[in-house]
Amino acid sequence: MSFVIFKNLAGRIHAMGEAIFFLKDVLKVMFSGRVRFAQVLEQMYYQGVQSVVIIILSSLATGVVLGLQGSITLQRFGAREFIAPLVALSLLRELSPVFTTFIYSGKSGAGITAELGTMNTHEQIQATRTLGVDPIEFLVVPRFLACVLVMPALVVISELVGMFGGYLVAIFQAQLPSAIYIRQTIQSIHYVDFFSGLVKAFFFSVIVAWICCYQGFFTSGGALGVGRFTTRAVAYSYMAVILSNAVLTMFILTFWG
Amino acid sequence: MIKVEHLSKTLGGQKVLNDISFEVATGEILIFLGPSGIGKTVLLKHLIGLFQPDQGTVIVNGTDITKLSQSQQLKIRKDFGYLFQEGALYDFMNVFENVAFPLREHTSLNYQQIRQRVREVLDMVDLDEVEAKMPSELSGGMKKRVGLARAIVLGAKVLLCDEPTSGLDPIRSRDISDLIRQVAKKIGATTVIMSHDVHNSFRIADRLAILNDGAIEVVGRPQDLLSCDHSFVKEFLKPAAV
Ligand SMILES: Nc1ncnc2c1ncn2[C@@H]1O[C@H](COP(=O)(O)OP(=O)(O)OP(=O)(O)O)[C@@H](O)[C@H]1O
Ligand SMILES: [Mg+2]
Repeated sequence: MSFVIFKNLAGRIHAMGEAIFFLKDVLKVMFSGRVRFAQVLEQMYYQGVQSVVIIILSSLATGVVLGLQGSITLQRFGAREFIAPLVALSLLRELSPVFTTFIYSGKSGAGITAELGTMNTHEQIQATRTLGVDPIEFLVVPRFLACVLVMPALVVISELVGMFGGYLVAIFQAQLPSAIYIRQTIQSIHYVDFFSGLVKAFFFSVIVAWICCYQGFFTSGGALGVGRFTTRAVAYSYMAVILSNAVLTMFILTFWG
Repeated sequence: MIKVEHLSKTLGGQKVLNDISFEVATGEILIFLGPSGIGKTVLLKHLIGLFQPDQGTVIVNGTDITKLSQSQQLKIRKDFGYLFQEGALYDFMNVFENVAFPLREHTSLNYQQIRQRVREVLDMVDLDEVEAKMPSELSGGMKKRVGLARAIVLGAKVLLCDEPTSGLDPIRSRDISDLIRQVAKKIGATTVIMSHDVHNSFRIADRLAILNDGAIEVVGRPQDLLSCDHSFVKEFLKPAAV
């Protein structure tokens, strides 16, 4: 029994080490300038297109729900005019970075793992090596970099769309004047709100890119394995994002505001 | 020239290669015959550094490739052509892009020259009108021929082929075997082929080696092997005798 646990633990530690070496290789290629921009652009387009529509729709819905719940709650305290800051700050500081990451890892992230995993089981990654090309440079870095560039951009889109959702509720449901709502929104947003959200988005994008590329690159076990590693990549991304969000939030609140 | 000395490899607790030594002269075609699962693919992958041996050396054209770092290995692979058992074409590229890939990576040819060179090699492997097709639209035999075209497009000094005829009908098997011999001789490639196609191997090999239980049972010219008395060899070669 304890032997099984020990073996399992040893396996986990080994995988963790492997993942760290993998990240080191990816960063080494990136910082030595071996970046294929055409492929990065292609991947950015591809990954962005995969996720952008659901992110817009769910951000709009989130903004609407925030507006509705917010107006009811705040009305009880006679503070209806605070609905604008409530919507804006919730989205900027917390909801947009986290939700966008969830959706992105479930769609584009899963796509990365499934693609790399399929290539691996069909020996295309090994074939790349036999052709004298580094598969990290050719197959991984473009996907990794595209993820890190596209996800924060989608977070900003999500924030804008979400605030628009809140605006719709405020105007049509809570009957607030449009100009006041917009002014309140702008006044309530400080640098830290926007940039702390962006810092989170950046961290999450690195986590998702790392986990999804790693799981795909080391997929084994044929078609079955592709399914297993892909679900695992998404599940690990979720866990890693939820946990690191807690840590990041504490850091940001302590040192930044 | 390829020179393998005392190569051993254990995978998953099983000794797949056990102290294997052999040589292939420049321009020679050596074919390894052996039953399924005996370690043919594992041995072939050692010759290009995809596997690192537990013991032994693999010297290719004077360089011990087992001593090279990852990035040094990538550099010397320009001189290698490797045909994977299943082709291993990029399925996000069409046939033209697949074959053009090594040219784009390792030469400074312009688009016209690349076009011409790709046409040339696709012609060699007897394929036309497939340049725009995706690998998923090709039959298994066509994939292998495209894989071969990609392997030789840089003019491989060392050509390694993993079961070029498995899964093909007898006529295609014969054709692709002849083709490999023809191409290898034309570009003067030192060639190692893994196969269990006894019949065609006898037709195209300069020398044959029989692999069993992680070791080479016999090695020699085709006619020598037919008169060999070894019981496993006799059993394995039965189809060639008829
Ligand atoms: N990556 C690996 N990890 C563990 N064991 C492996 C690995 N690759 C191959 N093996 C084992 O090594 C042995 C030889 O495999 P190999 O693929 O070389 O056989 P083969 O002779 O090419 O067979 P076939 O003719 O079916 O292609 C098999 O028993 C296989 O289970
Ligand atoms: Mg094999």
